[in-house]
Amino acid sequence: MLSENEAKILFFLRDLKRATSLEIATKIGIPESSVLSLIELLREKGYVKTEIKSEKYYILTEEGRKRKESGLPEDILINTLNGQEKDLNEIKNILDEDFNIAISWARRKGLIEIKEGKVIPKVKTYTSPEYLALSNLEKADTNTINLLKKRGLIEEKERKVVNIELIKEPKEFEVGISNLNREMIVSGEWKKYKLRKYNVEAFPPYYTISKKHYFKEFLEKVKDIMISLGFKEINTGYIEMEFYNFDLLFQPQDHPAREIHDSFSVEGLGKIEDKELLNNVKEIHEKFWKYEWKQDITLRLMLRSQTTATTARLLASRPKAPQKVFTLGKVFRPDAIDATHLIEFHQLDGVVIDDNFTFRDLLGVLKEIFYRLGIKEIKFKPAYFPFTEPSVEVYGYLEKLGWVEMCGAGLLRPEILSSVGIHSMAGAWGIGIERLAMSFLNISDIRLLYSNNIEYIRDVKVKIE
Amino acid sequence: MVTIILNKYKLLDKIRIGQQKLEDLLFNLKSEVKPIDESNIEIEINADRLDLLSSDGIARAIKGLLEKELGEAKYNVIDTEYTLIVDHVRTRPYALAAVVYNAKIDLEELIQFQEKLHGTIGRKRKKVAIGIHDLRKVDTKTIEYKEVPLSYKFIPLYGNKELTISEILDKTEQGKLYGNISIANGVSPAIVQENGEVLSIPPIINSNKTKLDESTEDFFIDVTGTSFEAVAQTLDIIVSNLAEAGGTIGRVKVLKSTNSSQSSSPLLIHKIQNVREDYVKRVLGIKISEEEICKHIMRMRMNCDIENGVIRVTVPQYRVDILNEIDVVEDIAMSIGYNNLEPNKYISINYGSYDYITLVERKIRELGIGAGFVEIFNFVLIKDRKLLSNEYVKILNPITEEYNAVRDSLIPVILDFLSKNQHAKFPIRVFETGDVVIYDSSTDTGFRNDKRATYAIMDNEVSYEDIQAPIHYILKSLGLEVTYKEENNNIFIEGRSASIVYENEKMGIIGEVNPDILIKFGIEYPTVIAELCISQIAKKLHNQR
Repeated sequence: MLSENEAKILFFLRDLKRATSLEIATKIGIPESSVLSLIELLREKGYVKTEIKSEKYYILTEEGRKRKESGLPEDILINTLNGQEKDLNEIKNILDEDFNIAISWARRKGLIEIKEGKVIPKVKTYTSPEYLALSNLEKADTNTINLLKKRGLIEEKERKVVNIELIKEPKEFEVGISNLNREMIVSGEWKKYKLRKYNVEAFPPYYTISKKHYFKEFLEKVKDIMISLGFKEINTGYIEMEFYNFDLLFQPQDHPAREIHDSFSVEGLGKIEDKELLNNVKEIHEKFWKYEWKQDITLRLMLRSQTTATTARLLASRPKAPQKVFTLGKVFRPDAIDATHLIEFHQLDGVVIDDNFTFRDLLGVLKEIFYRLGIKEIKFKPAYFPFTEPSVEVYGYLEKLGWVEMCGAGLLRPEILSSVGIHSMAGAWGIGIERLAMSFLNISDIRLLYSNNIEYIRDVKVKIE
Repeated sequence: MVTIILNKYKLLDKIRIGQQKLEDLLFNLKSEVKPIDESNIEIEINADRLDLLSSDGIARAIKGLLEKELGEAKYNVIDTEYTLIVDHVRTRPYALAAVVYNAKIDLEELIQFQEKLHGTIGRKRKKVAIGIHDLRKVDTKTIEYKEVPLSYKFIPLYGNKELTISEILDKTEQGKLYGNISIANGVSPAIVQENGEVLSIPPIINSNKTKLDESTEDFFIDVTGTSFEAVAQTLDIIVSNLAEAGGTIGRVKVLKSTNSSQSSSPLLIHKIQNVREDYVKRVLGIKISEEEICKHIMRMRMNCDIENGVIRVTVPQYRVDILNEIDVVEDIAMSIGYNNLEPNKYISINYGSYDYITLVERKIRELGIGAGFVEIFNFVLIKDRKLLSNEYVKILNPITEEYNAVRDSLIPVILDFLSKNQHAKFPIRVFETGDVVIYDSSTDTGFRNDKRATYAIMDNEVSYEDIQAPIHYILKSLGLEVTYKEENNNIFIEGRSASIVYENEKMGIIGEVNPDILIKFGIEYPTVIAELCISQIAKKLHNQR
């Protein structure tokens, strides 16, 4: 099959039968070097035969270019005289440095006579054949060429000329083209050609594909599950008062989890308008934990260490039962950062407030959430959290890791519910998300959930779920 | 979670069960067992069950679950001639004492028990400190708790020469660790014999005089602290567990020097907690009779009796975690076994609902992908020096300087990301959506989360329009026909930056990053960035619904 450029050369030769590589290059508009390699391909395919000859050619010298521009000195002399006699000195002034050349060539060609210091022209005008040849060296006869050589106006050079002769007519359907265009399709002209084959088995060049982030997608999936279970999503801020992070959740002010190395503190104090709520919480703390509860501690600001703070804010709004609410967000805890620990991670907190909600109902909700997350096997372990009673930890079975603790949960303590005036039962839970995500995304280093390597992110496989 | 290390064989011998059974029973008591070596195991104890911090406490609980012993454990308690005079000690005013005779203990384990109590209820000795002495080495029947000057001398535990309290503070590890808790006004709390000899300076160190050894069977125990409740509970737990090891508890008279009121300790606090049958049923969602309820309570080593339909629970001294009726219900559930409670089938009859901002964020993420940006996900915490404004939240107690502030914009986050990816295949087109924290005086904390979307392109050559075009059409897709108003700031090149405006409100900023900023992040390639305020956009879209 013929390439587009091969075809172009053959169709050009179909009319001329023979041409040089230079002619082809000039007419078709392809560099001569490319033409030579295409001709070689055509010769191998038996379409043309080639003959390589050496050819003399001439180029103008610097003086030649100058004379071509302004004329030969003898021509200027004759045309300046315009049939009148003139003193040699006068002419010397006009012709300046060309004076000698002009006089000597004009005499040699018999165009002038010199008598008593005067130049007498024999013709009125004159254009020398050498001058005409300067503009058209290819057409010049040998004598003129020799003369120009002698006068140093041209220089002889030699080059290879490839003569190409067509020996087999091309047929149109033999021509292959790379690209279709609109005109070819509409006119039907495409039928005349063959579309060239590609090396379709070769790999393509690099291509960036945009995708959603794998871990964000997992988080969104978790949200979807909660929505499908009938829960309403809420969100609150990262900067929180100790009141919502701890006090409202029945965590005494000297509880170890409130020590300086267990949560990040932020300068400043918050404010709580609900004085009744503050007072209820103070009373309950002082009654059960037997210490002096301090308001300036409860108003201190921190980065929330649990999304249960969001649940606490919901409770503080004294919602009417029934309620099913969840939040999924970042929490912050000081820790040494390594393959299994970060200082910020996600929690899924949820709460169900309902008149007849029981501990077994809570276990049922947890079982369903984990089932939909893909954990089919779970077990329950008694646990301790300041804000729930009974409290339970959920262990899930992961193929690679075995039984893994996944969730803390329980019924909210009556002390908490009474402080916000809720008379129904309420179950709540908090699920750490990163460990689950690591398992489902098959990631062994938690830091990879937040990789800052673009190539890693680009290469991550998409999960079908 | 607290962990204790126990000799496996000694523990199994006390309760006469196999290891697997032990693990199963402890699992249902909130605890987990991990092997340490051939003969030792590590047990995780939950912070509420202080009574389980020794092998004797564990044995007591397990005997209940095995129904070898039911109800409250009965211990011998006798009166003694010992008296504790409690003087006015300003830094830790409360003190109680007890003696225990004939307790067969493992010395190492007793020290561990003491330390774990110091760490939990004692709040690292700040709230409660415990001194345990060899009773044979206590010379007088009257012991005094009072303040002594720092020049007071005694030989500290494991020492070989007398030191002043000041020297102990300076030279011993214990002194350095705990000295600042109790020393004030040039005096230290001290437990001293009648003859003035020091037995301990709480919460720092005991005297070497009454050092325990393997043969010690009779003990004098002092507990001091800042909370009377905690002091009493701690002493109750210690004597109960020593009594479980066969000891006889001896009461010590306690005299307040200030008002000469007399009492005795340990208090062995018993509390009556009524439990309603229907409450148990309502909380757990099970059918259960009063008798069964009582049986479970007894298995949890509390006494229970039913009088006129009222279930009366006697909470013994070692169960300091029982505050209320609900705590007894949890014990009933634990006795039944959580995994014997069939989870109720979850049925939902209502629809859930997304926070509106979640829906907007999702659409913006999809459009970002459509516009050819790869989604990235970075930390909320960042090094303050990378931030470009002065209005960020600084963490007062950061773990590392790398993460000592909260991001107030995603622009520095994304620049930091780009700086780490200059050798990746170009162009780099990335975006991130997420929360930043900004000041807002209208909220109760003075701060507010603000949801942003930030896009960046880094390439060998890149210009304003390369980022403006996709952002424009992302916003147009959301139905927002925005305009651009030149706005110069230090992040972008002058004349190549604009605010994105919709209905006369700023929705974000866009521009070519100033090379000064690029250099600050070590970025060597031209970069364009746009940041959108999703919170603002969501407000507009919500209003248009």
